[in-house]
Order: sequence, then C-alpha cells, then structure tokens
Amino acid sequence: MKKIALSVAVLLGLSSFQTDSILCNVGELETKAGNLLDPYKYDSSELTKIVYKDKETVSEIEVPLFIGEKYRFVFELEALPKRVEVQIYNKSKESKNRKLLFSSKAMGDKSEFQFDISLLRTAYVDYIIPPAQDGVHAGCALFMLGYKLK
Amino acid sequence: MNLRILPAAFLTAIVLVSCNSKEEPASVSSEDADSANVAMTDSSAIAEENHAVSYNLPSALQIASVFKKSGAAYLLNVTNDKSNVSKYNTSNYKKALNFGIYSADLAYCLSNKKYQESKEYLKACKDMGSFLGINKAFEDNRIPERFDKNISNEDSLIKFVTHIQRQTDVMFEENKQKHIKLLALVGAWTESLYIAGEVYAKDKNKKVRNNLLEQLLFSGTILKALNGYKDTEPEMQSLISSVSRIRSDFDQMPVVAAAMAKDENTDFNSLDIPDTELLPVLQSIKALRTDMVN
Repeated sequence: MKKIALSVAVLLGLSSFQTDSILCNVGELETKAGNLLDPYKYDSSELTKIVYKDKETVSEIEVPLFIGEKYRFVFELEALPKRVEVQIYNKSKESKNRKLLFSSKAMGDKSEFQFDISLLRTAYVDYIIPPAQDGVHAGCALFMLGYKLK
Repeated sequence: MNLRILPAAFLTAIVLVSCNSKEEPASVSSEDADSANVAMTDSSAIAEENHAVSYNLPSALQIASVFKKSGAAYLLNVTNDKSNVSKYNTSNYKKALNFGIYSADLAYCLSNKKYQESKEYLKACKDMGSFLGINKAFEDNRIPERFDKNISNEDSLIKFVTHIQRQTDVMFEENKQKHIKLLALVGAWTESLYIAGEVYAKDKNKKVRNNLLEQLLFSGTILKALNGYKDTEPEMQSLISSVSRIRSDFDQMPVVAAAMAKDENTDFNSLDIPDTELLPVLQSIKALRTDMVN
C-alpha cells in the first residue's frame, strides 16, 4: 500500500510538471528580439504564455503609445511549438470596426520579425492561437517595443 | 499495510501539485529571494495564466525622452529625495511603487544631462531593486565606474541605463513578479505626471501641457492592468481608486472631452485649454504622488 501511495504521489507530481510548466528562457528570447530593434531603443517587453486549447483562441496585448512618435514592434516566436498568427490593430478585439495594420501571414515561417508603427495612441497585438494538437499544449511568445530617441 | 499512510501520501502529492502548478521554477537564486524578503505571490502567477488581455506600459525612459522633446525645463528639487530609500523597505507595494518613482527621477535627470544626479538615482534604483529581489539586474559591481566612463557620451550612458532596465524586466519576468513590475510602472508614470505638472506650473509651456495630457491618456490602460491584479496586494483597491480619480478629472476637462468625443486622435496642440480646467487633475496627481512617497 505504501508503494501504491508513493507511486500516486510521484505520478501526480510528474503530471503537474508536464502540463503546467511552460519552460521559456526569457533572457534568450529577449536577446534575440533585441537584435531586431536597432536603430530603435528598447522600451519594454511582454512575455505571453500561449496555451493551445480545443479551439482557436485570441490573446491580446494592449500597447499605449505617444501619438506621433515612431515605434518598432518586434516578435520572437521561437519558443512556440506550433506557429501562431500575429495581427496588429488600431482597436481592441472587442471593437467591431477596427483596422488591421499588420499580419504575420506574409512572414511565412519566420519566427522573428518586426513592424514599424506611428501616428497611433494605442495599438493592439493579437496572437491568433490555433487549436491544440497531440503533444502540443503550450509555449511562449515575446513582444518587444522599441522607440526612436530623437 | 498501513492504511493511514495513504491519506498522508495523497496530501503530500496534492501539496506538491498545487505548489508546482502555481509557481514555475524561478531562476532567481534563493539567496536573492531571501535577502530581499520578497513575497512572490502565487496570485500573480495565477492571474498571469488567465489573462486573455495583457498590457504593455511605457517605460520611464521613454516617457522622459518624449517629455524632453516638448522643451520641458529642468526643475531642481522636484524629484523624490534619494535619502528616503530605507523608508520604503516595508511592503511589496511601497517597494515597487518607489522603485518606479526613482526610475522616473533617474530618467528625468538623464534626459536633462544631469549626470551626477542620474548616478545617485541609479544607486537609489539599485538599492530599491535589492529590496525587490532583482539584485542580479544590478549585480555588476562596477556600475559607478561604468557610469563615469560613459559620462561624456550621452548615447552610451542611455544605452547603459537601458541595458540595466532590460535586465530588471527580465528579472521581474523570471521571478514571477508581474504585478510588482506593474506597480513599478505605475509609480514611474505617477512621478512623470507629477514632474510634468510642476514644470508646466512654472513655465506654462503649452507643449509640456500637451505631453502631460498624452501621459494622462495612459490611465485607461493602467486601470485595466491594475484591475487584473486587484487582489495581489492589500493597497491595490486604494491605488485603483486614486488612478480612477485622475482619469475622471481628465475626462471632465470640458475642452478636452469635447475634442476627444469628435476625434479620439485629437491633436492637443490645436486646443485652447484654460488652466482652471487642468487644476483638478493636477491636484489629484499631486495627492497620489504624495501618498506614494510618504
């Protein structure tokens, strides 16, 4: 009985490790994304944990900006087991009349890319997350914002 | 067979599972965490997993850089006293907000080429960072020497400080301190608003006022972000109320509200805004800032 209890404990522990831990090397992703920033200066970054579910889902990042300033949006998607589409809009996903400013579809299989933006007070980055497949549950996407200093 | 072992084993397993599910392995050393005595709250990690929307707020360096472009003058004695650092080693809330306030002071001094003051505020940030368990971001013991070495080259200095900021962002992420990072950004935003208000009160420079209004627009995103972490610290509700007050004062500025209703991308330069209209929001900013630094 002792052995059974111990086995159950170990199994429960293992299953939690496999399903709940999304292992992302933030520092490594930041370094890679940073290589695409120049000549823009680093401002901030947002690591998004992408969890693949039964159906397509959307995860959004709201990015407030100074209107008239020039910005670069950099994406590093290397830590994703299955590609997500990145879309950038002028309004949130709740808004009916929003305008698509960028889609990563044109980037093909690239896992690192950038998009320059200006004349906007708030931008909305949407990760379009496809349904889960066998063995594909989670990963990480890194967004980095750069701004022009002068 | 000892049947009494079974519930104990299950209990152990459940504890193991619940600990693991709430907190991923953090790469911060236990020494860092112990020395800082920071509570890396589980609620932060849970909230992070469940957010369908997240918010990327501007850094103190960016705000100061854009503020400088407005032609803002440098004011003496507007920043927070550096000797207050030890006063804030209390709650996570105080530590995080004042880390942000000092980072805004650093950015303000740096953008005005006040290098000695910048160096002292960098030290204040380093000390506050140690309270928050992000020592590694400042672990280079040669920071003062490297700062002095770059002092004649503004670009190198900004690059150096930006590098430290990136390291702190990584540390916050690795330590599962998303709500602490958010509080730091709210502290920096409040300090930047306060400085802009004080500079405008002295110079009456319209471009400074317009920059202040642009900064005030960030309050919408800040409120949404804070609401996502409202249960992480006991003082969160009070902070949300104060930021809501600032937003409400901004929304009630008649000229601004009328212009924004017509065009949400209104250029504030085109508006003639009487100072009396700005007064309530400036008072609310000052009240919040006073509460944060005391």
